[in-house]
Amino acid sequence: MSQFNVLMGKELRESWRSFKILWIPLVFILLGVSDPILNYYLMDILKAVGEMPEGFQMVMPELSPADILAASTGQFQSIGLIVLIATFVGTISRERQNGTATLLYVRPISHMALFLSKWLVACLVAVISVIAGYAASLYYTVLLYGPVQWDQFIGMLATYLLWICLIMAVTVAMSAAFKTVIAATLTIIMVIGGTIFESLIGSFLSISPWKLPSSALSLLSDYYDRTNFILNLSLSTGLLIFFIVLGIFMCQRNASTTEI
Amino acid sequence: MTLISVSDLTKTFGNQTVVDHISFSIESNTSTALIGPNGAGKTTTLSMLTGLLSQTSGSIKMDGVKDMRSVIGFLPQYPKFFSWLSALEYTEMAAKLSGVEAKQARLQSQKILEYVGLGSALHKKTETFSGGMKQRLGIAQALVHKPKLLLLDEPVSALDPVGRREIMNLLKEIQNETTILYSTHILNDAEEMTDQLLFLRGGKLVEKGSLNEVRARFEEPRIKIKFSSQEQALQFASQAELHCNVEGETVFVEIDHDQPTMQQLLNRLANSNFSIESIEKVTANLEEIFMKVVGSHESV
Repeated sequence: MSQFNVLMGKELRESWRSFKILWIPLVFILLGVSDPILNYYLMDILKAVGEMPEGFQMVMPELSPADILAASTGQFQSIGLIVLIATFVGTISRERQNGTATLLYVRPISHMALFLSKWLVACLVAVISVIAGYAASLYYTVLLYGPVQWDQFIGMLATYLLWICLIMAVTVAMSAAFKTVIAATLTIIMVIGGTIFESLIGSFLSISPWKLPSSALSLLSDYYDRTNFILNLSLSTGLLIFFIVLGIFMCQRNASTTEI
Repeated sequence: MTLISVSDLTKTFGNQTVVDHISFSIESNTSTALIGPNGAGKTTTLSMLTGLLSQTSGSIKMDGVKDMRSVIGFLPQYPKFFSWLSALEYTEMAAKLSGVEAKQARLQSQKILEYVGLGSALHKKTETFSGGMKQRLGIAQALVHKPKLLLLDEPVSALDPVGRREIMNLLKEIQNETTILYSTHILNDAEEMTDQLLFLRGGKLVEKGSLNEVRARFEEPRIKIKFSSQEQALQFASQAELHCNVEGETVFVEIDHDQPTMQQLLNRLANSNFSIESIEKVTANLEEIFMKVVGSHESV
């Protein structure tokens, strides 16, 4: 336990001193703010910039607060995820490649403590970022589009946080299993590729690991399909545990690949 | 007392045998030099001792110790530190990871950093350190948890002459308190600080023993006579009926079974009218022994 605390302390120091814990939430805040504001002022922006043809009638869809939060989620799902994956995909492999891990691995450390400290700090940064992003989005959504039900919002947020912790487990496990470049490629294919795959033919599948974000959004409004929610939640939790176990195993197995 | 015994240690990567059935033991409070050319398997041997690599076959035993990693301190050839930690933070973390209690870890870290001469750089980030300072920090982190066995991979190879001298002096001090196994290809260093020599070549242990033992085995004592001209040297060599090698004005007379003795040679020279500039007995240094040990197995 004390060893886990020491490793945790090291990771926290690292994310603090490299400003990760500051700039990634900032990116999410910007992403979260952009959709409610942009959509609200789109008409004014178009009027100010574009010369509309005479008699041009623009029909803007009537957007609900849930739609705006869904749009923000879309931002987090693309740019947000890429930023998080790129930041944490080297967390174990880079230390092995540059040799800083060597002096840790020659000590009697537990690879479980090592992996968990890496994953938990990645989760912490990701969770802070997502909460900050949604808080920013929610603030302008409520201000400009009307209220959101608290219990629904909390349910949505909690479900999305499970998703983001799953992504971090995949990222850190890949980092434990492969070199940084390969780990990055595989994680992007699995997460971003999977999300695209899901959006193309997802409607034919009742459950898939990539359905969690849309499951989360389904909690926001009664119009969304809420069937299979529990199934998707269980599937994701199962995968989360699988990737953590895989990561710990890979940490142990690849310890000798550290640069001496 | 034997601290660690290694028997038939072997490591193969694919079909390449990097370390080939090596056996040796190390006594407590001695220092052992692992000598060999590049690619001889020194680093691989040390990696197996640290537990970073697992051996293909053979055993490493330490009496009464279950997890050897807790009693070993290791300094790699190019130690890499987390650039965002200060020297004190790093050493403290290292101590705690090796099981030293928090309060004690801080005390021991401060003490060891003072000891290696980093007392004024406790709170400096390791990224600002020079090569010599990094090596000192490397030694500090290897010693902070008071290990029984200190493993050093080429501890001074990457340093300039000043840094090398400083680190060698530091190691000689440490030598009195702990057991050291270090690899090197710089033979002057080994000559300076060693109780046992292990010569590795192509993954095999080709020679072991104390410096004097190895020297006695490989020494070919010679008498070096310097004449005033090359003609005289050649003339001496042709008349002497001894094993002579002529190099310019100098003749090396090989001594075989203590013959000829210095006295005999002097008597002969006194009775002739060669003009001699100097005469001395020469013994092989470690470098020549190294070349012989390595060379004698070249044909294998």
